Amino acid sequence: MSEEQDLSLLETLDHLLDRGVVIAGEAVISIGDVDLLYLGLNIVLANVDAVIRTGRK
Amino acid sequence: MRFLIVGAHLRDEDVLGIAEPIACGAVWLSGIPLAGEQPLADRELLQSAARVRAELLGRATFIAIRYGFAATPAEAAAKCAPLAEGWKRVLEANRNNVEMTLKVVAREPKPRPDRHDFASGADYLRALHGATQAADVDPRFRDAVSEIGEHRWSHRDGRSLECALLVPRAEVERVHDAGERLKRDFPDVAFLLSGPWPLEVFVDHEP
Repeated sequence: MSEEQDLSLLETLDHLLDRGVVIAGEAVISIGDVDLLYLGLNIVLANVDAVIRTGRK
Repeated sequence: MRFLIVGAHLRDEDVLGIAEPIACGAVWLSGIPLAGEQPLADRELLQSAARVRAELLGRATFIAIRYGFAATPAEAAAKCAPLAEGWKRVLEANRNNVEMTLKVVAREPKPRPDRHDFASGADYLRALHGATQAADVDPRFRDAVSEIGEHRWSHRDGRSLECALLVPRAEVERVHDAGERLKRDFPDVAFLLSGPWPLEVFVDHEP
């Protein structure tokens, strides 16, 4: 896999996992004057590096 | 049967043949069927979702739903129903738009606070938030990006910022060209321009 493909896959996964409307288990928790977004997603995701390494096999 | 929900779409034909269209009030959801108790952390599923997302965007613009929402059609429709009317208006207004993303390395990256330096979790989180918000880019670069089109800046962490651009589909190449000019004009600013993406940031955009 080329460096460009690596980058493209990383970027795609980043958008898939960290962008868009959150539907499930969303709650806003505020501590002090800091608003934190807590996402109660019932999933365990593999480290992105691990996904890419596995994808190379 | 449970489905991994990928996005919200204006029409069922925007989804048919690529994913399962699920009626949800004024819009349609796209779903990828899940086999039995298939875990969402499954690598194949993750890659399949990425492929489906790209194919759906090739057909029509949609509102992206973050990976991790799995439900039966009835559950998905019930959960999204309160948002459907608003989504319909956004989808109608942005039928011909896509998003593009510019990730920029901050001018003076702020080190991530060390949690051991703080007496309380709240103090640590406040410092973490402060470091993230303090990250900035060269104001001339920021101005140049702003001229490309409608945009929204956001802080990702202490080391980078992100600018989401709302771009007419017909102008994606123009934005790539603008990216090339930015590289030339700001050789010291490290950035990555990517896209097109579905509506991920402009999910409430109604001009």
